[in-house]
Amino acid sequence: MNDELSIDWTVDELMITALSATLDNNDQACNGMASFIPVIAFQLARLTHAPDLVWVASAIGLDARPERVPASTLEAPLWRDSVMYLEQYSTFWDIVLNGSWLQKFCVGAAQLDRYGNGNNSVIGDDYHRPKVRLPGTAGLGDMGSIGKRLFFWNPNHNPRSFVEKVDFVSCAGWLGGGDEREELGLTGGPELVITNLCVMDFHPETKHMRLKSVHPGVTTEEVQEATGFELLIEGSSVPETVVPTVEQVGLIRDVIDPDGMRLREFGR
Amino acid sequence: MPEEKLTSIREAIGMVPDGATVAIQNMATQSAPMAAVRELIRQGRTGLEVVALVGGIPIDLMAAARSMDRFTGAAVSMEQFGLCQAYRNAVESGEIVVQELSETALNARLGAGARNLPFLPTRGLIGTDLIAINPDLVMISDPFGGLDVVACRALIPDVALIHCHRADRFGNLQMDPTAVWPDIGIMPKAANKVIATVEEIVDTEVLRKSPERTFLPGFMVDAVVEVPFGAHPTSFNPRYGYDTAFHQEWIAVARDPEGAELWMERYIYEPDTQEEYLDRVGGVSRLEELKRWEITS
Repeated sequence: MNDELSIDWTVDELMITALSATLDNNDQACNGMASFIPVIAFQLARLTHAPDLVWVASAIGLDARPERVPASTLEAPLWRDSVMYLEQYSTFWDIVLNGSWLQKFCVGAAQLDRYGNGNNSVIGDDYHRPKVRLPGTAGLGDMGSIGKRLFFWNPNHNPRSFVEKVDFVSCAGWLGGGDEREELGLTGGPELVITNLCVMDFHPETKHMRLKSVHPGVTTEEVQEATGFELLIEGSSVPETVVPTVEQVGLIRDVIDPDGMRLREFGR
Repeated sequence: MPEEKLTSIREAIGMVPDGATVAIQNMATQSAPMAAVRELIRQGRTGLEVVALVGGIPIDLMAAARSMDRFTGAAVSMEQFGLCQAYRNAVESGEIVVQELSETALNARLGAGARNLPFLPTRGLIGTDLIAINPDLVMISDPFGGLDVVACRALIPDVALIHCHRADRFGNLQMDPTAVWPDIGIMPKAANKVIATVEEIVDTEVLRKSPERTFLPGFMVDAVVEVPFGAHPTSFNPRYGYDTAFHQEWIAVARDPEGAELWMERYIYEPDTQEEYLDRVGGVSRLEELKRWEITS
């Protein structure tokens, strides 16, 4: 395997390789709407370290083989060429809720707080008269509560997204921290947060969000400034995030996503 | 002979009263019964509770036309085309009340409705703020001593609006292999009435050639209407893709009530037939493009 590091990687590619590294050969993974980074990470994992990874495209198409990433991560061009179509009400949710399969979920949330609680419902104090109505909880409201390991991604790390306390909990994270999740009988929970600036995890006891690595060229001060709560920073120096290899960059640019759909997540 | 279910879109939608709970098939930009939704708006229906898993442009149009005052479902989004602005404005000003459910909670509510049960439980949503604000969700203990669960009250829509690939005149409905969301998997089974638009009406003998594609028996269906391209501008795999230009045209006017009104005159109130509507959206050349899916992939 060619593990020579890329010298011209870009941050979208770095987020993809960081997410791809969380997936193992024995995993099953699925994606939701507007999820270019996860979709490309799954395909990259399959083409490199996890050839047997099973991808359920759009939670519909088993082992999909799209020629290239299309403009939608939910529509037929992504999942048309699958081994099986999973019916949502019964088959898909039976597989997810069973507990043995699809253990990891890549999720996005408009707001995330220091304990990894997510909000995709409303911005503002009054749920019924919100300042901003967000799309809604969709599958997120389930994934946080049914024992799944959650991997958040956010291509725009800013203090409005990373807040002291979410306006509304539509995805259960570590709740108030400590063993609050455990007390409710919830297993799984948020594990990793990958942004355009850094990678964060959660302190094993307090469940406080913790800086794990910063991307090359980013300082810990910059990350803290872009975060609306005090991040846990351990030790005197935070490691740098591992950059993509030449092989990974080539696969992303030339094979998986030649049209650059991933850049849409960065408003480009 | 079984009962004839074939009718016109006008008569079919005439069965839906003001204030009804209407479940519609839809997933962001996919498979919405758009001809039926346009007819609901044309007939000036008001006070509807609309149920959908993930609502897209039909929700935005019904919000703009003030057809609905409640939304019950998991999300509202047009995915790559963004948030539904008319819906969003109506929710933010308190005109539309949202009952936000996770996917398993919506499935449980509909599943209970379909099976004549008071509720079905889920383990989703536990720990979120969505339970306390919703009178149709209650935490209950497991009678067998396990962990608590969320009881999701049965939801029985007055009517389900769906779009399918084909049917015979007796309402036996077929779908070709494609994504199957709860709106086909469970919604029509929970609803008191089912109104289906279809791409084509065929002889029953045609259904016999692929009975595995028939998903709902005619006796559960109240009305069936032939409407080619009945899901436009949403996609209807494998027949046609979503209409990017049409979605963008709507988004450009959706924030502005006057612009939205003019747009709706042109595409909803004025065209008397599906043919006229299809002419206005670009006619044969646009439809041929959509059939190739190329501009959407």
